[in-house]
Amino acid sequence: MKELQELARTLLSSGTVKVVFGWEEGPRGARPAFITDAANAGRLVFDHRCSHTLATYLSPRRPHMTRLGKAAIVVKGCDARAVAGLLREAQVKREDVVIIGVRCGGVAADPADAGPLTAENVAERCPGCTAREPHLADHMVGETKPEPPGAPTRDARIAELDAMSAPERWAFWQAELARCIRCNACREVCPMCFCERCVADKTQPQWLESSPHPRGNFAWHVTRALHQAGRCADCGECARACPAGIPLGLLNRKIAGIVADRFDYRATDDPSVPAPIGAFSVSDRQEFIL
Amino acid sequence: MIAKTITAEELGALVADLVSAGTRVIAPARAADGKVDYRAITRFEEAAIGAELPRRSLKEFFLPPTEPLFSWHQGKGDVTVKPVAVSFPPHVVLGARPCDAAAVEILDRVMGWDYRDELWFGRREATTIVSVACPGVDGSCFCTATGGGPDSKRGSDLMMVPVDGGYLVEAVTPKGQAFVGAHAARFVDAADAGTTAAAEAFRTGVRSRVAEHLTLSLPALRRWLEGSFDHELWRAIVLRCHGCGACASVCPTCHCFDIVDEPEGVRAGTRRRNWDTCQTARFTVHASGHNPRADQNARFRQRVLHKFSIYPGRFGEVLCTGCGRCARACPGGMDLPEVLKTITALVGTGASREAAV
Amino acid sequence: MNLYQPNLVTISDVIDETPDTRTLRLTFQDPQLAAGFDFKAGQFGEYSAFGAGESTFCIASSPTRKDSIECTFKAVGKATRAMRELGAGDTMGFRGPYGNHFPVDRMEKASVVFVAGGIGLAPVRCVIWNVLDTREAFEDVTIVYGARSVSDLVYKRELAEWAARPDVKLWQTVDPGGEAPDWKGEIGFVPAIVEKAAPSAKNAFAVVCGPPVMIKYTLPVLEKLGFADDRVYTTLENRMKCGIGKCGRCNVGPVYVCKDGPVFTARELAALPQEY
Repeated sequence: MKELQELARTLLSSGTVKVVFGWEEGPRGARPAFITDAANAGRLVFDHRCSHTLATYLSPRRPHMTRLGKAAIVVKGCDARAVAGLLREAQVKREDVVIIGVRCGGVAADPADAGPLTAENVAERCPGCTAREPHLADHMVGETKPEPPGAPTRDARIAELDAMSAPERWAFWQAELARCIRCNACREVCPMCFCERCVADKTQPQWLESSPHPRGNFAWHVTRALHQAGRCADCGECARACPAGIPLGLLNRKIAGIVADRFDYRATDDPSVPAPIGAFSVSDRQEFIL
Repeated sequence: MIAKTITAEELGALVADLVSAGTRVIAPARAADGKVDYRAITRFEEAAIGAELPRRSLKEFFLPPTEPLFSWHQGKGDVTVKPVAVSFPPHVVLGARPCDAAAVEILDRVMGWDYRDELWFGRREATTIVSVACPGVDGSCFCTATGGGPDSKRGSDLMMVPVDGGYLVEAVTPKGQAFVGAHAARFVDAADAGTTAAAEAFRTGVRSRVAEHLTLSLPALRRWLEGSFDHELWRAIVLRCHGCGACASVCPTCHCFDIVDEPEGVRAGTRRRNWDTCQTARFTVHASGHNPRADQNARFRQRVLHKFSIYPGRFGEVLCTGCGRCARACPGGMDLPEVLKTITALVGTGASREAAV
Repeated sequence: MNLYQPNLVTISDVIDETPDTRTLRLTFQDPQLAAGFDFKAGQFGEYSAFGAGESTFCIASSPTRKDSIECTFKAVGKATRAMRELGAGDTMGFRGPYGNHFPVDRMEKASVVFVAGGIGLAPVRCVIWNVLDTREAFEDVTIVYGARSVSDLVYKRELAEWAARPDVKLWQTVDPGGEAPDWKGEIGFVPAIVEKAAPSAKNAFAVVCGPPVMIKYTLPVLEKLGFADDRVYTTLENRMKCGIGKCGRCNVGPVYVCKDGPVFTARELAALPQEY
């Protein structure tokens, strides 16, 4: 990816940024890279294995990262939505980050997947993606890629769940969430879970039980999904990170559907569009508040 | 004991025997998403033995993700405490991977250190572990480097090796021997040297393949770790770590836990222990807010130190069986085998024993 | 019964040492434990407020006093806040004694210098009474104790007792600005007062406990006075849960504070990474 490597080299050697967040070759496929030396810019790659969202690394809660200095970050369209979320919620200042947009044709669910990219191994958020060229960018690299393979499946799956009776749907989620061990990987990788002190970690009072039993797990996941309402960037990291294979994307996507329906808001990489959680309009529907 | 064999059919019947006798049978089996976990089965057909490596290890059957320690009830001015059971119904693990079986035995050390953890050993005593020699997984396996291997019998009561039509079976412990005896009708003496030779070839083949992934001198690694607490390595390699703890949750040997009181209503509740990990920011934080391991560099360093320096220093063996799950599970691309390889190279140059930067 | 299940204790006395520090005197409900519970100075326990959780405190009373045990704490977190809500007659839980202890035996026929700050006097007080209850076995006893202000001094009645004893040299101090109009003690940080007191290091041991910053500046003073680093003892406070070496939380470098500590010599402390 010569264009990207050249750009990184220039940004670093000119001192415009101190570090470039991108992807590189690792022992198991592509992985996040943090290039601080212009001489190492050649390590940067971009291909279908770059599934990771790097926006989480911009969090101000990571002192070992912020110490590196001003960053440039390579973003796919979905990643740009995450960066926009951080900007929208004042976690990062626009002038403190250089955004390198990369044109994307979809990524694999597993960064270790050598490919090629097919309908079977593509990440579930990619088919039908309309954000393959990020708007939020200081620079744009890469050639326009073909559309991701496969047809979108998530909304059909959600429709299936919606068609179930409440007890059936309850049973479905109980079975899925039974595997949760409260490792909190979903939270730690999420770009929008940046609270200094997560509600789940508070002990006085104990809002959510921390134990990985069905009751505690349900409380945690529903709370997190609701806290992500109107904020989730649909980057897919939570589901990818979950070591128990819980389909968290369905939960977040369902809530995103409700937010779209209620507030006509969809995750966007335009930080000037206010999210429902932080904005009020007199035309907001209120019939559910009594 | 003479080596035995068992056909797949007889193994199926054996599982049926166990289940109808009330024994809980745990085996690798497919979850709803198609991936393999160790889970309870009721029929042998549900098992996926020798397929993909189960996503999680066996530790949850001895140290559950959440486990009640006791319950209390508050009366008028006094409290009654209700104990939990410390003896458990019989379990058989069928198709354990050698890395997972070995890990359970390694954990016996800390669980029996001066104070005997009755809950851990209660479950241990109730469980028979039947392992199956591993066909290897992928390049992230490094069991041989930790002193184990895809054919390691450590921690297993019985070891099975896949052969034509079934398995070659060896009893490793008296418990394994008793198991064979109790189900003698299902087993036959290994017919010929050909079967044992085939099994041996399987084992050595996988072993030499896995051994190519990583070679470690565990003593040299430990010495380096003891002397390199402030090494710049810990600042360079931890950037991609999210501190999420996925590694610890899938790890067969990570065992740190939290203890919490969970009220049920106003007057009663249960005290539980829950899986926890040194990788989270809050693991060491004091009530005052002071955090002795204040950034991810320090926390990742702790994990490596605990596994390859502290635990062996205390108990004589590393807290790792080289299963590679941490590398597979990490969403940020952290790679423990790579870290160990990097340290080995540093040891080799003899350089960087002192603190740098 | 398993080793995580606590013994039941009744709060027999509640003593407010300062506005935010309280001592609880506890008696075992089980008659056998009430009669035979024993421990060594420096050991700790896990104290339960049922419903809130456990908290780790040293056993603040002396092992020479058999009828009860004591703990002294500040309400800083969930479990300690719940403990503050309890009163005489209420039931708590206790697991212990855990950990190692101050080697009081080793200190016999020698002088002992006690240095403590704030609530850090709690574990030291245990050893002080252990020593004073067998006073003739020891040579000189010096105590240097200070807190931020007069109202922050704990065990005020006992300080008065020690001050009145001719066989104890007690130096009390408060931080500059922490004195009251009738304050007759020293004014200055504890390390400075240790320097002023200049206890002899000859055939002497030191027992030090207090806020990390106090320990940090006291150890060099003791070194300058000639105390060998394996004759200076301190006790480490770490986040703990199980207290018995299983849960991994208190692991610092090669030691488990709950098993190899909480009492360490200054020499052992210097060898540990600064992760406590």
